[in-house]
Amino acid sequence: MSAQSALEAPSAVRLAVYANRLRSIVQKMSNTLYRTGRSGVLNTARDFSCAIVTNDDRLLMAADSLPIHVLSGPDLMSAAMRRFHPELRAGDAFLHNSPYHGNSHPADHSLLVPVVAPDGRHEFTILVKAHQADCGNALPTTYMGAAVDVYSEGALIFPVVRVQSDYRDNADVIRMCEMRIRVPEQWRGDYLAMLAAARIGERELLALGEEFTFPVLHERTEEWFDYSERRMINALSAMPAGQATETTTHDPYPGAPDGIPVTATVSFMPDEARVEIDLRDNPDSFPCGLNLSEACARTAAMIGLFNSLPAPIPTNAGSFRRITTLLRPGCVVGIPEHPTSTSVATTNVADRVTAAVQLAIAKLGFGHGLAEAGGFGAPSAAVISGRDSRADARPFVNQLFLVLSGGPGNPHQDGWLTFCHAGNGGMLYVDSVELDELMFPILIRTQRVEPDTEGAGRRRGAPSVRVEYGPLADDLTVIYAGDGHVNAAKGAAGGLAGSTAEQYRRDLDGVLHPLAGWGEIVLAPGEAIVCKTAAGGGYGSPFEREVELVARDVREGWITPARARSVYKVAVDATGALDRAETARLRANAGLEERGEP
Amino acid sequence: MAAPGMRSVGASVTLSADTGGTFTDLIVDTEGELHIFKALSTPADPTSGVLDAVELAAAAYGIETADLLGRADVFIHGTTRAINALLTGGTARTAFLTSEGHPDILLFREGGRANPFDFSQPYPEPFVPRSLTFEVPGRVAADGTIVRELDEGAVLEIIGRLAELEVEAVGVALLWSIINPEHERHVGEMLERHLPGTPFTLSHQLNPTLREYRRASSACIDASLKPLMADYLRTLERRLGCAGFRGELLIVTSQGGVITAEEAGRAPIHTINSGPSMAPVAGRKYAAAEGEVRAVIVADSGGTTFDVSLVRDGVIPRTRETWIGLPQLGHITGFPSVDVKSIGAGGGSVAWLDDGGLLHVGPRSAGANPGPACYGLGGQEPTFTDACLVLGYLDRDFFLGGAMSLDEAAARDAISRHIAEPLGLGVEEAAAAIVELATEEMVGAIEEITVHQGLDPRSTVLVGAGGAAGLNIVAIASRLGCPRILIPETGAALSASGALLSELTAEFAVTCFTSSLDFDRASVARAYATLQERCDAFFARFPAETVRTVDFSYEGRYPRQNWEIEVQLPSTADLAAPEPDVLVASFHDAHRRVFALADELAPVEFVSWRARARAQMRLRERRLARDVRSGPATRRRQIWLAGEGWAPASVVDFDALPEGDQVFGPAVAESSFTTVVLTRATVAWKSRSGNLVIDLETAA
Repeated sequence: MSAQSALEAPSAVRLAVYANRLRSIVQKMSNTLYRTGRSGVLNTARDFSCAIVTNDDRLLMAADSLPIHVLSGPDLMSAAMRRFHPELRAGDAFLHNSPYHGNSHPADHSLLVPVVAPDGRHEFTILVKAHQADCGNALPTTYMGAAVDVYSEGALIFPVVRVQSDYRDNADVIRMCEMRIRVPEQWRGDYLAMLAAARIGERELLALGEEFTFPVLHERTEEWFDYSERRMINALSAMPAGQATETTTHDPYPGAPDGIPVTATVSFMPDEARVEIDLRDNPDSFPCGLNLSEACARTAAMIGLFNSLPAPIPTNAGSFRRITTLLRPGCVVGIPEHPTSTSVATTNVADRVTAAVQLAIAKLGFGHGLAEAGGFGAPSAAVISGRDSRADARPFVNQLFLVLSGGPGNPHQDGWLTFCHAGNGGMLYVDSVELDELMFPILIRTQRVEPDTEGAGRRRGAPSVRVEYGPLADDLTVIYAGDGHVNAAKGAAGGLAGSTAEQYRRDLDGVLHPLAGWGEIVLAPGEAIVCKTAAGGGYGSPFEREVELVARDVREGWITPARARSVYKVAVDATGALDRAETARLRANAGLEERGEP
Repeated sequence: MAAPGMRSVGASVTLSADTGGTFTDLIVDTEGELHIFKALSTPADPTSGVLDAVELAAAAYGIETADLLGRADVFIHGTTRAINALLTGGTARTAFLTSEGHPDILLFREGGRANPFDFSQPYPEPFVPRSLTFEVPGRVAADGTIVRELDEGAVLEIIGRLAELEVEAVGVALLWSIINPEHERHVGEMLERHLPGTPFTLSHQLNPTLREYRRASSACIDASLKPLMADYLRTLERRLGCAGFRGELLIVTSQGGVITAEEAGRAPIHTINSGPSMAPVAGRKYAAAEGEVRAVIVADSGGTTFDVSLVRDGVIPRTRETWIGLPQLGHITGFPSVDVKSIGAGGGSVAWLDDGGLLHVGPRSAGANPGPACYGLGGQEPTFTDACLVLGYLDRDFFLGGAMSLDEAAARDAISRHIAEPLGLGVEEAAAAIVELATEEMVGAIEEITVHQGLDPRSTVLVGAGGAAGLNIVAIASRLGCPRILIPETGAALSASGALLSELTAEFAVTCFTSSLDFDRASVARAYATLQERCDAFFARFPAETVRTVDFSYEGRYPRQNWEIEVQLPSTADLAAPEPDVLVASFHDAHRRVFALADELAPVEFVSWRARARAQMRLRERRLARDVRSGPATRRRQIWLAGEGWAPASVVDFDALPEGDQVFGPAVAESSFTTVVLTRATVAWKSRSGNLVIDLETAA
């Protein structure tokens, strides 16, 4: 029973074996990056992805990572690599962060490593993409929401630049980064971690090719795509036929004073097992950093779709064959034209695209789609910077990953509490309070669930979380770019909106002063920033929530008895004891009200 | 059940009992000979299963139970009592006392989610509900300074509420209690005084580790186990005593050592992985008996799980992260433990097709009830065991030494209906596919602990243990390129036999953060002195001739890395007068070993310092007693070989096989407790130590 026989066995077995081997390779890459990365975005938030792409630019296998990373983008980046570098050699590695050539946004540095067989043929491409703690922007943040164009962002842009040949660094590129990126040793550590991950993937794929020969691997690849497509066909055949349109709006922002409305039209054609998502009916790009890159526009739309499909379906070029996403050049959620800024492309407006798609799907019938997730960018996930007087005033810059709540209510479950945002899907890990206080000169005073904030529904959205922190003995700069202060996360299928985000500066006397939804704040020692994150929307009518679940929510302090009564129409005391007769009466009246009867 | 034949027993014995999901294994060590006995476990009252096994042994020796127990100086026990209580919600009603402003530590955990597109999974419940969580006013900062004094009045009020709510145990974890334990200790004193008789656990005493979630989870899990484990251990001691036992009762820990029953009652969290932790201890021993080996993979394959661990250079592997349930979604114990990776692939693993026609094996298991289709207990779905029966690997009339017969027609039918027909395959081909895929899953698990750690499996020895391992261990070794396999003679009761080799252990840790940039020699030396003191106090309990060992290690990282790695202290390092250069070099080496890269330009941060004290109880060679046993008369049968089809195979009786006689594949080696399938190009023999050694010719 040799390995050779395993790939020649009946197709059901050899495919499973092949997929396992590929998955094991990308997991190995991920594990290396996660454990060795230096910045919080890597080693806590797991804001990175590892993938294998075919030699003709099709996504083959990606490790479980943030959804915004892994659906579309690898294909576009691989194509750009082959366009710019028709001759690929073993030992090459390319640094790529250009949003105009398939990357997500400039703060995501990607490494592309062509897997070149001993006979010189380019067989596969390894991709490692990781969000950097700093990318040389004009301000110490990777989210330049107020940048009017790529010039005012300030980041170095690398459109598939060769950073290694013959497995050795091109030191010119390294030095450019070291001169422009803050805390360069942290960037260099992350670069080393990415390189190690990419080279591990290369080594493993070469070994696999030696074991089975590359022609056999390419055959298995096509079978894997066909299998994935079959899974997608089955899923799409079971969706309701029809078309629906939904709009949701990003909060007002510098460069977009009236906010950014995002509209998606979703058409399911179950007879043909196809789906089309149209994002063309949206405004042109805005003079700010919120515009999407092509990779993020496509991916955000696909997240809304995959969130709404039943079983986990392999996400690769095979299943993608059944999906059409229509984009428009020059559109805020389309294909950006240089020098449009896409600094914040992976979160804010992208999350609104995902929401518009899944809200539209929810209109096609109860049990489909999801509510909207809470907006991203509260100060609990701010980029903080300053100097640490505990350690010779050493400078630091890093993104915090305290809790961002916001999981959307959906047909199956209440919203995921540590969801973070739609493009993350709860995949990130959350900072340890003690570790943050050890690494940075701050005190985290509070981190707790805020009652009565959830988007009510049969399945409720995740509630807001209240987080408060401030500096110890040094000034602390806090930069954040939030959404969901004005426009709450919408409910679906009769569910209600989640509570909006808020934030305040707490002065030395303990008095709270409201802050805008985005900003650069300098806190003095003894001051603190307080935030309430945006809650997720609810799914289904709150009157239909099982009374036992409402009672549990009261007993466990998620909601108060008053809210149980007014919103869910359930009579329950603070200990969670139900008054069933009163509840029946409340709910009967609620049903009458709903139907417009007196 | 016991292997047949009357045995003799010496005047002094050591007993080792391991309670598993299906069987309670007992090994009697009598003057260097080992005897295995298996009784059915009794989950409702596990003590009965232990006593049943002892009675079975006594009967086999033809003596009274009291007589057998009276000859025992030590009774070692591995128990699933704690893990079962945790998995089934049978722990005490436990409250959590936390720092003000941070009530949701157990709810937020450390974040993470399994599959971003799967919305059918609920958000996990916290270990202690929010309604039993109380915020203690008072705050300590990272450097140990008190930001806000402890509010004693508020604590008193909380304790009043705990009494009203009839709380049965209390876990206390306050921020930075590892640096300044004053507040936590004071809360402990108040609980002692105002809530007498209710057990509690203080996080800094139990597990002085950085990261509040891990420490809080440790404290609450430990507290929740205190009432029932104290009760269980008391009952076991009493009933063993009544039955005639006068020796010392020792309990196996998750860390692969043993502690006294009294210690286990005080910190019952250490008994959670009692049992599986012993497999690598035993595997190391058996591999060493066959000559020097740098790396040993220990695979223990039972009914529902396939457990693997890697012993490298004689070092038992450890992990810093142990979860009850799934990683990120379950509850972390917060303790390092023996690193045993477990996947849902075993004899009972169910084979199924998804809607795209792809074959899967596991992770769901048919368990013992209804069990595989061939058990004839109502199981309809095809399992790994069914596939092995169809392929001739298992003898339908000699399963578990003939204690149970298997229904081959039912196995064929299940595979045919669920797998073969939908895929258009023959039944044997489908069965072979199931075995092959299960093999792949197991290979994947082994690769994770070898290749991922930069170790080439071709330089290892594979130890196969547990009832199901022999069925595809050759296939696994062949896939990995392992040149040699070892089936230990006590493989069917590996954990119980490992416990006989274990040492009394204690672990101590001190958090003392410093960087190589401004290395704090004095504080590190102080931490070392503290560890030394604690080890000395631990050793003081043992007689002078006891062999004592202390392993020192530290947890370090590069600046801003989130995850420390544990590094054994190099022999050249003297922590009484610590030199950063030696430590830094050892960290770069360790980092390179684990991740294939080191950042020689970066400074190194040291987070905590650990000591593991070990006291060796006895050193004695042991062998499984040879039983003369009458197996079935068949000496040849057909087995299915992948890529070939049916082939005649000789069937040998493992127990009766003379030492050194070579057996060439295809063949099947059977004993009462296990079956080993030898495919082509393999040669096997029984070694002088009594183990079955299998060499793979292709891999050599």
